[in-house]
Amino acid sequence: MPRASVWPRLRMLVPPPAPSPQTRIGLCGFRLFGGRGRRPPVATARSGGTLAELPGVCEVRAGMEKAAADTGSSTGGGGPAGLQTLEVEVAKLLPFLAPGARADLQEEAARHVLALTGSGPGRTLLASQEALLRALVDLAAAPAPAPARDAARALVNLAADPCLHEPLLVAEPGLPARLLGRALDPQWPWAEEAAAVLANLSREPAPCASLMEALTAAEPGESGLERLVRALCTPGYNARAPLHYLGPVLSNLSQRPAARAFLLDPDRCVIQRLLPLTQYPDSTVRRGGVVGTLRNCCFEHRHHEWLLGPKVDILPFLLLPLAGPEEFSEEEMERLPVDLQYLPPDKQREPDADIRKMLIEAIMLLTATAQGRQQVRDQGAYLILRELHSWEPESDVRVTCEKLIQVLIGDEPEHGMENLLEVQVPEDVECQLQRLDRQEQEQCQREQQEWELAPEPQAEGDAPT
Amino acid sequence: MEPLELLEPDPIADLAREAFQEEFQGGCYSGRFHEDNWEEEFEKIPLFMKKAPSEIDPMKNPDLACLQSIIFDDERSPEEQAKMYKNEGNDYFKEKDYKKAVTSYTEGLKRKCADPDLNAVLHTNRAAAQYYMGNFRSALNDAMAARKRKPWHLKAIVRGALCHLELKNYTEAVNWCDDGLQIDAKEKILLEVRAKADKLKRTEQRDMRKAKLKEKKEQNENEALLQAIKARNVRLVFEPASEEEESASAGLCKLLDGLNLQNPYGAKPSMDDQGRLSWPVLFLYPEYAQSDFIAAFHEDSRFIDHLVEMFDELPPWDLERKYYADNLEVYFEDEEREELYQVPPKSTLRQVLQHPRCFVKDLTPSFLVCVESSVFSRRYFGARNVQ
Repeated sequence: MPRASVWPRLRMLVPPPAPSPQTRIGLCGFRLFGGRGRRPPVATARSGGTLAELPGVCEVRAGMEKAAADTGSSTGGGGPAGLQTLEVEVAKLLPFLAPGARADLQEEAARHVLALTGSGPGRTLLASQEALLRALVDLAAAPAPAPARDAARALVNLAADPCLHEPLLVAEPGLPARLLGRALDPQWPWAEEAAAVLANLSREPAPCASLMEALTAAEPGESGLERLVRALCTPGYNARAPLHYLGPVLSNLSQRPAARAFLLDPDRCVIQRLLPLTQYPDSTVRRGGVVGTLRNCCFEHRHHEWLLGPKVDILPFLLLPLAGPEEFSEEEMERLPVDLQYLPPDKQREPDADIRKMLIEAIMLLTATAQGRQQVRDQGAYLILRELHSWEPESDVRVTCEKLIQVLIGDEPEHGMENLLEVQVPEDVECQLQRLDRQEQEQCQREQQEWELAPEPQAEGDAPT
Repeated sequence: MEPLELLEPDPIADLAREAFQEEFQGGCYSGRFHEDNWEEEFEKIPLFMKKAPSEIDPMKNPDLACLQSIIFDDERSPEEQAKMYKNEGNDYFKEKDYKKAVTSYTEGLKRKCADPDLNAVLHTNRAAAQYYMGNFRSALNDAMAARKRKPWHLKAIVRGALCHLELKNYTEAVNWCDDGLQIDAKEKILLEVRAKADKLKRTEQRDMRKAKLKEKKEQNENEALLQAIKARNVRLVFEPASEEEESASAGLCKLLDGLNLQNPYGAKPSMDDQGRLSWPVLFLYPEYAQSDFIAAFHEDSRFIDHLVEMFDELPPWDLERKYYADNLEVYFEDEEREELYQVPPKSTLRQVLQHPRCFVKDLTPSFLVCVESSVFSRRYFGARNVQ
C-alpha cells in the first residue's frame, strides 16, 4: 500500500537555555528556563521594570518550579496531585499567549511552551489544555511582531506526536486549512514551519483526510493541490521560506487515491513538473518527499504505460540519481535513455540510502506488468542497476537492488500472473514469504552489527626511513 | 350594388400602352450585361465578387474604391478602424495570404487605439501570420508585445511558446507553457509543446555532454602524444620560428589543434596501443619537383621498406625510368646550417628523427629522394654541403 513518508517525525530542536544558575531539571522532565538575562525595559503604560520582575510570568515560573519540586520521588512520574498542579500552572500561561497581550510577554510565554514541547510529558501536559492549544494556533498564524515562529515550532513538536493529533484537531478543527493557507502564502515568512506541521500531521490518516478536504474546498477555479504543486515546483515562490517540507506533505497526501488521481491526470501537466526535483541538490527533505510521491504514484498500474511513455518518461528521472560516473561502451551508451548518456566524471549518486531504496522500489513497481517490464528493460535499466549494485554500501538497499535485477533478467512469470500487483497470493505461500522476509531482515541486521563491531584493522606502523 | 361596369375598350389608351410595351421589346436597356462576357462583368460588381482584386483601381472599379473609402475613412474612431483592419487581416489569414495579413494588422496597430484587448489581439494575430511565414523572431516579438498589453492572453502565450520551440529556446518554451497552463491546465497545444521542448532540451544537454567528453578525450590523446614525442627527444620546429623551448608544449598543443587547418593533408602523428608513434612523412623529389605523402610512417619501419613498396611501380613522372628502390638515396635537410644529411635506407624513422641535426617542421618530417649517382643528383648535391 502506498506508505506515508518515511521521514522521522520532525522535531524542532528546543533552543538551548542560556547557562544560568536557576535552571533546574524538573522531576517530570521539564526543563525550566531560568532568568535568561535581563531584557531592556519596555516602555509601556504600566510601570517599567524588567521582565523577570513582572509579577505574572514570575509567578507562573515559581509555581511550576514548586509543583515540580512537590512531585516528590526521584523515580520520576509525579503523582496525580502534582500533575494537576502543573496543569494549573501551565494554564496560567494562557493569558500571556492571547492575541492582545504584550509582545515581549507573548514571546517569553511562547518560548516556554516551545521548551515544554521538547519532551514527551511536556507535550502530554499541553494536550489537555484545549484553550492553550487554540491560543497557540492563533499565535502561529498571527502577523508580526507576534512570536509566530516559536508558536509554529511548538506546533511542529506537538504534531510530531500522533497521540496529540486528536486534541489538536479538537481544539482547532480548522487547523489544517489555516496552516495550508499560511504555508501557501508567498509572503508568509514562517511558511516552512507551517509546512512542517502539516507534514507531521498528514502522516496519520485522519488529519490527512482533513487536509485533503481543505485542499479540495480551497478557492474555486484553482485546485488546492495545484497550488501546492506550484509552490513546490516554482523556485522562489516564497522569498523568505524555502518550502522544502511541502515535499513530505505531498508525499503523505499521495497516499490518498484522490491525490494520486490528480497527480496522474493525463490531461494535465502535474507529475511532469515534479520529475526534475529528484535531482534537487539543496534539500534531502524535498528530494525525499518528491521521490516518495512518485513511488506512491507508481502503485497505479493502470497508468504505467503512460508513465513509461514519452509524455511523462518517468524512468530516466528515477534512474538518474542511481547512476554514477561509470563509462559505458558506445553500444551500451546508445541503449540508455538520453538523460543517462555521457554523464560527467563527477556525477554523484543519491547520498541518502532511504531515497535510493525508494527509487528502486518505484522502479520495481513499474515492472509489475509485462509491458512495463519490457519497457524498463528496453530503456537500459539493467546497466545502471548493475553498476549500482557493485557500488552500493548499504545492505538492505543492495538486497532490494538484487531483487529488481532478478525481475529484469529472470524469466517471465506464467500465464495469468503477468500483472504482479493483481496476483492473488495463497495464504500458505504468503506465510512462507513473510517468514523469508523476516529471515532476510535478520540477516541484514546481523551483517550490519558485525560490520559495526569489527575491530579496526591495525594500522601499519610507519616504516622507519 | 351595381355590377361592375366593363371598361369600354379605349383605343387611345390601348395605342399608348402598345407603344410603351414596344419600347421594351425592341431595344436593350442600357447598362445590361453583354452576352459574351457577362461573367466578367458580374465579377466586377462588388456584391458578387468572389475574390477582391489585390489592387483597387478607382478607374476600373469605381464602386469598390468607393466602398473602400467608406470603410477606411479617417473620420471613424481608431477603435473602429483598428477593428476593420483586424477583420481584413483575418480574412487574408484565412486565405493564407500571410504577407497581406501582416500588413493589415500593422495598419490596425498604427491606429494606436486605446483598447488593450484589441491591441493584444492584433499583436497575437500578427504573430500567428509571421509564424506561418517562418519569421519566428518577429512572431515572438509580437507575442511578447501582446502579453505586455494583456498578460493572461492565452493565445499569445501559446504562440510565444511555439516560437520559442522553433527558435530552440527550450527553457523559455517550457516556462511559457507553464504560465499558460496556469490559466488553462488542460490546453492541449501547451501540453504537447511542453513535452516536446523538454525532450529536446534533454537531448541538447546530452549532446553537449557528449561533445565535452569527446573534447576531453582528444585533449588527453594530444597530451599523451606530446609526452611520447618529448620522450623521444625529437626536435620540433614551428612557425613562427621564434617559439621558445619552454613554451614548446603550449605551442605544440596549439599546433595540434590547428593542424587540421594548417596541414593540407590533415594528418598528424598518432600513437598505437603499444605506445609507438606513426608520423606523417613527406618524400620530396627535387629532380621532378614531385612529392609523395605517407600518412602514417611507423617509427620502427625502415625507409627501404617504404621505398620498395612505393616504387614497386615506377611513378608516372619518372621520365627516365630510373627510380628503382635500390637506386634511391634519401637525405634530410638541416635548414639552419643549410646542410644535407644522408639517411641510410635501412635505418628506421625513429633512428633518423633522433639525429641531433634533424628538425621536424610542422610535425611532418620531410626527406629528399634522388637517384644515386644520377646527373641531377650530382648537380644538385654538388652545390650543397652533404654530410
